[in-house]
Amino acid sequence: MTVDTQISIGNLRCKNPVWVAAGTFLYGREYGRRLPLEELGAICTKGTSLEPWDGVQGIRIAETPAGMLNAIGLQNWGIDAYLERNVAWLREQNATIVVNIVGKTVDEYAAVAAKLSPRDADAIEVNISCPNVSEGGVFFGTDLRMTEKVVDAVRKATSLPVIVKLAPNTHGLAEFAKAAEAYGADALSVANCIPGMAIDIRRRKAVMGTPAGSGGLSGPAVKPIILKMVWDVTAAVRIPVIGVGGVVSWQDAVEYLMAGASAVQVGSALFRNPNAPWDVAQGLEQFMRDEGVSSIGELIGAARP
Amino acid sequence: MRPREIRVVERLQPAPDCVELVCEFPEDEGPQSGQFYMLSVGDGRDTYLPRPFSFYRVFSPRRLSFLFRVVGPGTRFLAGLRPRDRLQAMGPLGRGFPLPDGPERAVLVAGGVGVPPLWSLARSLLGLGCEVTALLGARTRSAVLGRPELEALGIQVLTATDDGSMGHRGPVTELLGGIEADGLYACGPEGMLRAVRDIAAARPLPRTYLALEAAMACGYGICLGCAVERAQPDPALGAYGTYARVCREGPVFRWDEVRI
Repeated sequence: MTVDTQISIGNLRCKNPVWVAAGTFLYGREYGRRLPLEELGAICTKGTSLEPWDGVQGIRIAETPAGMLNAIGLQNWGIDAYLERNVAWLREQNATIVVNIVGKTVDEYAAVAAKLSPRDADAIEVNISCPNVSEGGVFFGTDLRMTEKVVDAVRKATSLPVIVKLAPNTHGLAEFAKAAEAYGADALSVANCIPGMAIDIRRRKAVMGTPAGSGGLSGPAVKPIILKMVWDVTAAVRIPVIGVGGVVSWQDAVEYLMAGASAVQVGSALFRNPNAPWDVAQGLEQFMRDEGVSSIGELIGAARP
Repeated sequence: MRPREIRVVERLQPAPDCVELVCEFPEDEGPQSGQFYMLSVGDGRDTYLPRPFSFYRVFSPRRLSFLFRVVGPGTRFLAGLRPRDRLQAMGPLGRGFPLPDGPERAVLVAGGVGVPPLWSLARSLLGLGCEVTALLGARTRSAVLGRPELEALGIQVLTATDDGSMGHRGPVTELLGGIEADGLYACGPEGMLRAVRDIAAARPLPRTYLALEAAMACGYGICLGCAVERAQPDPALGAYGTYARVCREGPVFRWDEVRI
């Protein structure tokens, strides 16, 4: 039985709904070999800013029950380095490229977006939800007016499909989703890491190296929470929603799709298994065959009343 | 790059809270001393991340061991494994110790559970005709690891303990005072590594290498979790290569490459 796994996000066509989440893959070059990126729906690059960012000094990773905290602080080499070093490589791997962009100001977001031509990216994901930076990031994603401003500015700066990566720590996530939709977003990624922390009880201090002592929680621990957010946001907007949170197995992906997501992003699962997204994509396809599902559209929202 | 299944063939307990797991790999392994493997702990759900471990002893091309102290849920899981149990291993990863071009007077310094990467290094150095001395430091006598295993290679082993219950009383780095060396290779707690670095700077002893440890999620360079500040920004990255990755550019660094 042949199954049709193709999905569309605005004008973006993807072979399947399994993507790689920003910041969990860099650009894939660390694998040291050719990667069959054409077998994945898309890859979201490391969050990329106008100028290079150093990231957090101090502890950046801590394991927590069924998950992990990270406080990388968007260490990245900037958009020019991306254009010089990584576009050609990603194109050689036949990747569908979603460039994740970050900024400290609205203008910086727009400036990064404006530097990306259709040759350099197939879509842009606007990260207004990183919990580990002291400027930008989640400070845009938890303020409705700022969310509108950033989305508006990026929308006006590019003709590429715009995906807005929402913050999980807002009151009234649906309002943020609607605002992004109203200002021209083609899709929403729900969500980013959930702010969290851990305490080193011997040293009597926070584990993570950020000034606030906090980090972003990801992994299986967050999946039920984000799954409900996807469920809720899907009901609030008409644009596609991409589920991001604790996808480790193909079963997790199926849950997200059935909740209403049009695609999923595999994130920190890559840290424990470099082949995780490919394994998820294969498992999903096998599930469709087993269940006699010929088109991925039949799964999207299948659990909704 | 895919985690591979390895099998425990022997479980040793060299100290009350330390375990050495001898494991059988599916293929011949040829890791460099100082390289490491990411070992899965449990089903990867509750304990989500694999753990980085230097390999310790090499018994045959397919048979390597891992030595660790039981400190948390991950090492508790590993300590509970018995012969025939299976686990996932990914590696070898990272950059190991560079070997000298010819014979030298090599001194290895280990603190606490820092001995694993130095055992195979000692063997390689002996193979090059080096004169090898190992200095082992620990809190107390029962925590000194690797002494019989290193002595079995035929090298001189000196010990230091905080409480004086074995060898010199005081930091292991104090033993370096009376020893001539051309190359210095160290693995242990950060304070010990800083002391070794200071000695390297003072003598000076350019061929001094430190094996670092860091919390990391992936072990293969993509999470950027194990950042260590470079002494000089990476020229290839311009002014912006502030951090190196312990997993990728390390875990072994020359003493003057990083700020610790």
